[in-house]
Amino acid sequence: MARVTRSGRSVGLILTAVAVAIVVAFSSSTRLALALGLAVAVLGVGATLVSLPAVRRGHPVATRALISVVVVDLAILLTFRVSATSDSNVAIGAAMSIVLLGLSFLTGSSGQISLGNGAFMGVGAFTVGIWADHHATTPLLAVLVLATLAGALVGLVLGLPATRLRGPYLAGMTLAFAVAFGAILNVFSSWTGGDSGLQLPSAVVAPHWLASFFGPGASALATSSAWLADISILVTGVALFLMANLFASRTGRAMRLVRDNDTAAELVGVSLPRARVIAFTVSAAYAALGGALWTLVNNSVSPSTYGFVLSITILSLVVIGGIGTIPGAIIGGIIYAFSAGAISWLTAHLGLNPQGNVASQLDGIIFGGLLVLTIVFAPMGIAGLVRRGWRRVRHG
Amino acid sequence: MDAFLTSRNVSDLLGGVTSGVIYALVALSLVLIWRSTRMLNFAQGAMAVFATYIGFAILAPTTNYWVSMSVAIVAGLVLGGVTERVLVRPLYGKPEINPIVAMVGLLLVLESIAAAIWSTSARALATPFSIVDWQLNHKPVALSPFALYEIVTSLVVMAIVAALFQYTKLGLQLRAAALAPEVSRLLGVRVGRMLTVGWMLSTAVGAVTAVLVASNFFTGLTPSGMDGVFAFGFIAAAIGGLDSPVGAMVSGLALGVVFQFVGDYVNSNAVILVALGLLIVSLMVRPNGVFTRSAQRRV
Repeated sequence: MARVTRSGRSVGLILTAVAVAIVVAFSSSTRLALALGLAVAVLGVGATLVSLPAVRRGHPVATRALISVVVVDLAILLTFRVSATSDSNVAIGAAMSIVLLGLSFLTGSSGQISLGNGAFMGVGAFTVGIWADHHATTPLLAVLVLATLAGALVGLVLGLPATRLRGPYLAGMTLAFAVAFGAILNVFSSWTGGDSGLQLPSAVVAPHWLASFFGPGASALATSSAWLADISILVTGVALFLMANLFASRTGRAMRLVRDNDTAAELVGVSLPRARVIAFTVSAAYAALGGALWTLVNNSVSPSTYGFVLSITILSLVVIGGIGTIPGAIIGGIIYAFSAGAISWLTAHLGLNPQGNVASQLDGIIFGGLLVLTIVFAPMGIAGLVRRGWRRVRHG
Repeated sequence: MDAFLTSRNVSDLLGGVTSGVIYALVALSLVLIWRSTRMLNFAQGAMAVFATYIGFAILAPTTNYWVSMSVAIVAGLVLGGVTERVLVRPLYGKPEINPIVAMVGLLLVLESIAAAIWSTSARALATPFSIVDWQLNHKPVALSPFALYEIVTSLVVMAIVAALFQYTKLGLQLRAAALAPEVSRLLGVRVGRMLTVGWMLSTAVGAVTAVLVASNFFTGLTPSGMDGVFAFGFIAAAIGGLDSPVGAMVSGLALGVVFQFVGDYVNSNAVILVALGLLIVSLMVRPNGVFTRSAQRRV
């Protein structure tokens, strides 16, 4: 045992040294250096940690942190591989992952479902828009935190009836919220710009710490979508880490009991109203955070973007990915990042008129169809299929 | 008398009843399915619109309103039955969010297919009656011949459904299958068939509703045109109680009137805030609906 420990530690040290060397060697192309450095550092830290007794027994927080960093790293590598025009797709896919994490948590922890998370995204988006109108110099991260809090607040108010409601009623209420969102914005049209929405005052500028990290003239700062892709990925990583811990925490375990058997949960002293409101509020806050990032990429906020169709799209992605699970949310985000390209490819190969009725409805038909097929034939989505396949491989 | 009939409050009342009967029909349509299968049909609006397109878009140039209406109703019956047999049946006994997800998926598919075939631009339906309000001493009464026809049609539909449930053998079997499926099965009721019939009835009621909405709400027929109406209909059904057909219809009618007054005296955008507020408060005070007498269900 001792030998394993020592070798693990030395491998860790060597890999960390390699990571530093790579960052130095590739410093002309900072993002590649960052990605490669992170990858090797993960291996290094991982190897070091494996040698520690706590992690050898599988220390969960460290494991989750490692997984989050690996996901971030893979995503940053992805931004390096794809062309600059797809940066915004990566950013939007990462932002969507955050929204999906929230919805997945709601379902995975309380067994409920929301058809209004597109509107909660809108809450975050409009917070950013309104804030940028009045306080353009506020640091980016503060704006993101503010948007998240706004989403949590609205989610808390709408979630109050969730204390006494079961699935279909809550779903219907969130649907009503999603359908009504445009009209609600109109009530506050002096702030929200009514039907036309808001234009962010100017192209958002990269925060100082990011700019000084990449250095002047770096390609990652050339367009706002390029550095927003990095920001979105980093925020997704943090959100992923927090969510993984929340899922596994005492609160998260109590909530899963609520989902599986609410009578038993009550018997062991779990407060059902509290569990349900927390689940709903967290899901709304995550949606708002995703919406805030998304609106920074779009550089404008329009009520029509956050309509009912977006809420259904969110539901489709999370169900296809695997509802109630964290990998499912990440898979859904990846699908979303590539879906626009895939659908235009399909349009071209089917010989459809890109401006025609059929082409413009193709995404709805495909997402809706996949949603129905998934829930009937593979209710746990891609994540569930992979898990089942993996079990079959391991146990023959 | 004339001044009274054209006064602001009476106009609001008439306008409220005109939209209230629509919410009542949507609510009734939802209750028909909820009582028997404990499912909320989120695709109700989309299915209704699809049936209406079949009746009015395919036959549009050649036939008259009544033929199209009949075709839409038949299309609703078929669509409801097929949906229950093919999509809903595998979902009985699954976690309660599975049918919700499936219905939302169906909604997206139907609305997208309708938009792909018939485009998203609004289609005006020919109407058998004028939608211009009657005049009294050169002042408009908030009621048109079409609105009167709409109210009467809605009441007739409700009466037919009520009579069917109350006075026919089929209605008795439907009620039995919904309230005590196991006992009914032992007594020889074809419970599965009754569920199919329930979905067919519900979708046919929906088809009538969508035809009326598309003609009278000044929007024309659009693929997503029932989304907002469905939301209000759901709110009505939830407040009245998804278990109570009478409660759902009464609260639909009442909400229509309340919304009209709020829209007139406050602000048309405030209507939806009031609706959401009413829904939240009523669900917190009486989670099973104002009109439901049965004890809380704990399964």
